[in-house]
Amino acid sequence: MIGLRKFLVAFFLTSCLLLTSCAQQAPSRFDGAQQESTSKGATAVVDNSQSGGSFNRYFPDSGNGYDRIYSQEKKGFAQAKLKKDGQEIAILSISDVLNNTITVDKYQSSTDKINGFPAVAQGSTATAVLVGDRYQVKIRSKDSSFSESDREEWLGKFDLRGLSKLK
Amino acid sequence: MSDSIFELVDNLPEKNLTTMMLNSLDNIVPGEWENTVGFVNTIRKVTGEDDEDLIQQIGDRAVWLYNDKSQGYRRAMWLYQTVDRTDKALGTAALANKVGNKIPLVGGLLTRVTPNPDKAQALDLSIKLVVELVAFCQINGIPGDSIGDFVGALSDYSGESLMRMAALVCVDGLIPLGPDFLLKAQSTLSGIGPKDLESNSTFKEVEESIPGGNTKGKLDFIGESFDSVKGWMSDFVASKNLDPQKVMNNLQGFLEFSDNKLDYVAAFIDMSTNYYEHTGTQTLARRLIERAFDEI
Repeated sequence: MIGLRKFLVAFFLTSCLLLTSCAQQAPSRFDGAQQESTSKGATAVVDNSQSGGSFNRYFPDSGNGYDRIYSQEKKGFAQAKLKKDGQEIAILSISDVLNNTITVDKYQSSTDKINGFPAVAQGSTATAVLVGDRYQVKIRSKDSSFSESDREEWLGKFDLRGLSKLK
Repeated sequence: MSDSIFELVDNLPEKNLTTMMLNSLDNIVPGEWENTVGFVNTIRKVTGEDDEDLIQQIGDRAVWLYNDKSQGYRRAMWLYQTVDRTDKALGTAALANKVGNKIPLVGGLLTRVTPNPDKAQALDLSIKLVVELVAFCQINGIPGDSIGDFVGALSDYSGESLMRMAALVCVDGLIPLGPDFLLKAQSTLSGIGPKDLESNSTFKEVEESIPGGNTKGKLDFIGESFDSVKGWMSDFVASKNLDPQKVMNNLQGFLEFSDNKLDYVAAFIDMSTNYYEHTGTQTLARRLIERAFDEI
């Protein structure tokens, strides 16, 4: 009798274990990134990237009905919203590619240039330039009224030349 | 508890007491909040992109950024989770009692909650506000005690962030403390000392993240934060013509209760919902995705 009871208890506990493990999260397409980014010594941002605040002076200014509002500032990254009549129409950013070196690969096949710097289109909303092989300047449309040619024009309004000299 | 950002966003409920409560406040901030759940779905919504390879790159970078502790995202998530102490069983029990689209707040459900005394409620409101300020700075990268930057950014709040602030004003301010909730909170803050703060359970949970050094310094920081944000809050209340009666009418869209039980309604919502964690997760995911797309 005791044997049967022991067996039942063991069976019950095993079933519980199986059931709880089945209730775990399904595999995700982001499991790889999760595993790599939590391994020992992994970081998304490196010490020698520029401070985000050092990028602010290279952004285009507000004016002519456009407002530029800074929204994020982290090591190697600065981001601003571009608004017209209070409506967000685009996101402007500068990032230090030292934090994510793989990002420069896409410029190898680039044939377009903005103010002499290689430019690429990304997806249906983004256009970016690589400045001095070190800084990525990107504009993303947040409203369909802000077209690809608007993005190219506004990328030209950044002080790209000045940024290329930032050491 | 999930550790990865994609699980946290994937696990956000589509419908529960929290979303019902937030939906009931929709006409206060019309169209601002949409309950976007699921990590990939959020990437699509935030970026407007549907190329699978691009979505993968954005998601991967977001996962990396979230897991780098130096970037502040995990601390912000912890703050949003910790300041909401939720009794999940109460929420489940309440939903089980639903009649039609409403939950009758009577009998057994009411005996399971205890209204906060005014002083504790005023402190909870102030601490939640400071948590928002600190989390904002962790997410957006402005130094942790920059109250001025936060106040400037408040006027630019939209979407789920504005809904979170609207809910704070309504269910942690107007309903439990009444129309003069700002005055009550202010007089509470100026009348208490470090010992009172130390005995507040919400403070105890999050104190390590509040700037100011010792408890006295933290109390000062809470007071200064409240002082600088109260103007925004009173403008918000005035511009939306908010009063306890109006908020009560909104809440009666999903709860059934009698008018003399407002303090119990506040306690019930406090215990059964986690609107800070829910909308905080959505805010954090949005900001993370916006940065990730810029960096790839």
